[in-house]
Amino acid sequence: MFFLFLQIITLYTYVSYMSVPKSSVFTSASYVSGTLYEIEHSVTKHFHLAENNENLQKENMRLRKQNPLFLYKKNRTVLSANDTLYAQQYDYIAATIINSSTTNRNNFFTIDAGKMQGVKRGLGVFSSNGIVGIVHNCSKHFSVVKSVLTSDINIDVMIVENGAFGLLKWNGKNSRYGSISGITNDIKIKKGSKVITRGGSGIFPKGLNVGTVHSIAPLEGKPLHFVKLEFAEKYGALQNVYVVKNKFLTELNKLQLEQ
Amino acid sequence: MDKLHVFSFRFLLFAALQVFVFNQLSISSYLHIMIAPLYVMLLPFDFSVFRLLIISFFLGVIIDALSNTFGLHASSLVLVAYLRPSIFNWFAPRDGYDPLKVPSIIDMPNKWFLLVFGILLSVHHLWFFAIESFSLSEILLILQKTFFSCLLSLLVCIILQPLFLNKAK
Repeated sequence: MFFLFLQIITLYTYVSYMSVPKSSVFTSASYVSGTLYEIEHSVTKHFHLAENNENLQKENMRLRKQNPLFLYKKNRTVLSANDTLYAQQYDYIAATIINSSTTNRNNFFTIDAGKMQGVKRGLGVFSSNGIVGIVHNCSKHFSVVKSVLTSDINIDVMIVENGAFGLLKWNGKNSRYGSISGITNDIKIKKGSKVITRGGSGIFPKGLNVGTVHSIAPLEGKPLHFVKLEFAEKYGALQNVYVVKNKFLTELNKLQLEQ
Repeated sequence: MDKLHVFSFRFLLFAALQVFVFNQLSISSYLHIMIAPLYVMLLPFDFSVFRLLIISFFLGVIIDALSNTFGLHASSLVLVAYLRPSIFNWFAPRDGYDPLKVPSIIDMPNKWFLLVFGILLSVHHLWFFAIESFSLSEILLILQKTFFSCLLSLLVCIILQPLFLNKAK
């Protein structure tokens, strides 16, 4: 009897925390485990230092190219009109991964930013190479991020070339490959096409890198493609990420609910 | 009760080893080293089911809280604790167990340990991966994971024992 009682408790918490965590006490976002992992991270962060520096350097280079100060101004009126034409839609919060796994069926990351920095449940997380996941749970100083490597991540992505879109899935086997579901087989897809976020749900901005198409196979009995995707980011050695906050998200959700 | 501090120290050691060493070794999706069942296995012969359940529940909760598994470890360890007495009875020697001994590979015959611990470990791993996936369509993946992880966990658990166990006098 007591065995059944304990079994029900554990399974109930597992199922409920997987969908909506009620508190951060029993996750790695809690103060105690967050601090323990921060100590551990202070040692292990050096293991992938060279690779991470290289990635950040590449990103800096890319951003430098976009900086208007370094560009030749062809048409000055457009650039001066920048402020009224464009409004900042997304806020970014820089964070460091202090604990991660990539080999479980459902993988989570712990990052060192929490409610204090403005992180909330449901925000998107990406890195300089690609998308990483969605914030699952947060405490004051830490957050747990549900990574792309979970069974029900369902981020909407699209193929750049032809705009075909579907949902991102992961089968639990290899952290380098995912798949896209829901692309009908009347659309021609080439190997190696770039895959980006579609930005439909407002969690991620449109156009964040996800990966490239690795292979395409027909799905038996359905008019759909099975599209295998190679992730652009190596999740095993990832450290520096950004949490992205859409300023217009409530507006978007409200509008979509009205329909 | 000099046993008490030995078991509490070992409790923390196993939780720390599991969380900060073996969970961090992301070898492959098929290979997960789980040593927590060894702690439940090594508890004395004369512990009641009730005691075993409580201890393994708390060990599981601590590991879960630190590795974002939300109750998976607790659930599978409680199952191990529940099955341990029945499996011990099943494979009991003719004249019963010596309460001064510990159910380890050092005190008990190798064959007995491999058989009993092998069964408990397989049940633990199978339960863990089945609940983790929670879908019948992934049954092949679950079985593969259970098989490969079990072999590796068993090997690690055998290597670990001589490191901190002494032979009973």
